Amino acid sequence: MSLARINWRELLARFGLVLALLALVIILSAMSDRFLTQSNIINVLRQISINAIIAAGMTVVIIGRGIDLSVGSLLALTGVVGASLAVGGLPAGVAIAAALGLGLAMGVFNGAFVAYAGIAPFIVTLAGLTIFRGMALAFTDGRPVSGLPPAFMTIGYGSFLGLPVPIWIMLGFLVVTHVILRYTALGRAVYAIGGNEEAARLSGIPVRRVVLFTFAYSGLAAAIASMVLTGRLNSAQPSAGVMFELDAIAAVVVGGTSLFGGKGGVFGTLIGALIIGVINNGMNLLNVPSFYQQIVKGGVILTALLIERLVSARRT
Amino acid sequence: MALLSMHGVSKRFGAVTALQGVDFTLEAGEVHALVGENGAGKSTLMKILAGVQPPDEGHMQLGGDDVRFSSVQEAQARGVVMVYQELALVPTLSVAENLFLGRLPRFVDYGALRTRARTLLAQVDLHLDPDTEVARLSIGERQLVEIARALAREGRVLILDEPTAALASTETDRLFEIITRVKASGVSVVYISHRLEEVFRIADRVTVLRDGALVGTRTVADTNAEQVIEMMVGSSVHRYERPARVRERVVGTFEVTERDLRPVRITLHAGEIVGLAGVIGSGRERVLPCAFGLRGSARWNDAAIGSPRDAIKAGIVLVPSDRKTQGLVVGLSVEANLSLATLGRLQRFGFMRAGAVRAQSRHWIERLSLRPPDPDKAVWELSGGNQQKVVIAKALATEPEVLLLDEPTRGVDVGARAELYDVIDDLSSRGLALLLSSSDTEELLGLSDRILVFREGRVTAELQPPYDYEEVVAHVTGAHQLA
Ligand SMILES: Nc1ncnc2c1ncn2[C@@H]1O[C@H](COP(=O)(O)OP(=O)(O)OP(=O)(O)O)[C@@H](O)[C@H]1O
Ligand SMILES: [Mg+2]
Repeated sequence: MSLARINWRELLARFGLVLALLALVIILSAMSDRFLTQSNIINVLRQISINAIIAAGMTVVIIGRGIDLSVGSLLALTGVVGASLAVGGLPAGVAIAAALGLGLAMGVFNGAFVAYAGIAPFIVTLAGLTIFRGMALAFTDGRPVSGLPPAFMTIGYGSFLGLPVPIWIMLGFLVVTHVILRYTALGRAVYAIGGNEEAARLSGIPVRRVVLFTFAYSGLAAAIASMVLTGRLNSAQPSAGVMFELDAIAAVVVGGTSLFGGKGGVFGTLIGALIIGVINNGMNLLNVPSFYQQIVKGGVILTALLIERLVSARRT
Repeated sequence: MALLSMHGVSKRFGAVTALQGVDFTLEAGEVHALVGENGAGKSTLMKILAGVQPPDEGHMQLGGDDVRFSSVQEAQARGVVMVYQELALVPTLSVAENLFLGRLPRFVDYGALRTRARTLLAQVDLHLDPDTEVARLSIGERQLVEIARALAREGRVLILDEPTAALASTETDRLFEIITRVKASGVSVVYISHRLEEVFRIADRVTVLRDGALVGTRTVADTNAEQVIEMMVGSSVHRYERPARVRERVVGTFEVTERDLRPVRITLHAGEIVGLAGVIGSGRERVLPCAFGLRGSARWNDAAIGSPRDAIKAGIVLVPSDRKTQGLVVGLSVEANLSLATLGRLQRFGFMRAGAVRAQSRHWIERLSLRPPDPDKAVWELSGGNQQKVVIAKALATEPEVLLLDEPTRGVDVGARAELYDVIDDLSSRGLALLLSSSDTEELLGLSDRILVFREGRVTAELQPPYDYEEVVAHVTGAHQLA
């Protein structure tokens, strides 16, 4: 009898998120006949792509028991720098590569303070949050960068095999992240460090380098998301990405990754981002005023965590 | 020439001198025991060898070359592998992944990983699904996983820091077979243990440390237990004998059960010590966590114990077997840890009474001879044995009616053991009822008023004093069944 209960629990723990998403989809399609249409589904996927990319990077950091609050500001910084280089005459590919390199470098900057100076990730990236924002504003004097070459339009509005390019970028980045986390020694080291850092060190894992990697990866994710956003807006705003870090963290935790590290994965994060995206979309379709939307979103995050707690309670 | 030699190794931690000019040599293919009381510096010396921490002074030679390891990776690259006293596995990862932690190939092939994991586990006779999360294993199983992991690295120096502390006698036998095997293949083994009978069974040489200094190295064939104990403590230790007692007042009855444990009823009398014997996996190791409301289901005098809070309210306290993860907040001071379970009593109108807190910690530090006797020291700075004293003191401070002791002297040296036994004896003579779960048969024989033997998830025998050592072992191992 107890066996049956445990199996049921594990089933729920494993597929509960997907079930929750399905339930949401069913409810919303009953409430609005515009919801379950091909164009709306693609619309939702495109809307979540930026958050999902940032959240994938965030997942890596959080599994290693870190946090990265600087991603929203870094998105703005890499966006304006990349866009300015392109406007200034560099080939679009080079400008984009430079922006991604900058994201990586700033991630390394965060990671170095965490891994080598031993400062708490929360503090380091909180500093990063204001520093990168300040740099983005100073670099552009507070003005948006526009007049971009057509390559950016392709990123924002192009499509391939019937799917918009942002969705492809999101899927590609999620797959790469999944492979790194699950199938590489580096990824498994991230889990080990999040689960028990001392044990990881004693096992001969180069803990500092791995921690550095997690932040660098998150920086790269922010820069990739930034290129997508720049393409969508066809301009780069130094004020873009405010509070994006919170949406990303929400997707990660709703997706079942533990803030205490060592557990979780990027598949859950995708579902988390979808749940949040579907709710946003549904409320828009139902004309829920935006003030109430925020309340609902917060409520969903709490509910997801509450359910996850109830399901995993007493499991060890 | 020796495979490895350490010369004049010193190490200080702030004001504490952990090691002072210690020399140590290791021959190829020998088993070298390292003994000494808690805090003698055994773990520190070996951690220096394994690259966990650098020495302040001194130098090392390995295979004729001067070496200085600045990280665990470097030591492992030269073939030095250590199984730590404090378990060092990642609880959220699977057994297979823990086995290859730090040595995973760049891309992980889970099928191959599982197959290799099974082979390694078979070497230590552990038949587990390699996908099991480590968090679900018992301490003894974890210890065996760690040993399998060390074997997987195929080093030429294998350091085992109190490997048998959590193992029952059959697992110990298995470990000794493994040690004999790796020794035959030319590997040198450093064996740290507080159990001298093991040292005399397995070791070729024995080195004794006392207060961070080398006392001497002896060939095992040319020495005896008394001599080694004398080297360790500098004087002789009295052996603990338990007088017979009468059972009178019934304190209550436990009924516990769990997935791997059939329902058991245990009635406890005031002042009684009931010993629980059994190998790991026999169900014995499940009883106390159940009784404390951590897992399974438990009733005490027909009231359900669903959580540690219920248990504590009913006057039941547990001294858990894994001090690092369950017993202590290692970042806090000794005093803070000692007061954790008695916060209610130590406050007035919500404010901690500093005087009472200090008095309580002084009392227990003295009663258990904690070293160093400093209430403000952080717990992680103490040696393993002294940490265990803090856990026990914390539980005792609540003045419980029933004390559950899970491997109470795991990693505690001879001298400190005797002190702990005195404390336990004193408590039972004041009417406290105790349930003692232990892998150490001698400890059970010395302390218990009766012994329940567990095998295959149930009680298979109840033994009364006077005990016959061999009979108890026969029951525990199931050899009784064969006769
Ligand atoms: N990281 C540390 N920081 C401060 N002091 C330490 C540290 N590690 C060990 N010590 C101190 O060094 C001394 C030696 O400790 P060590 O752990 O080597 O003893 P041990 O012989 O292994 O004892 P046990 O048998 O109890 O495990 C002790 O006094 C201990 O408190
Ligand atoms: Mg030690």
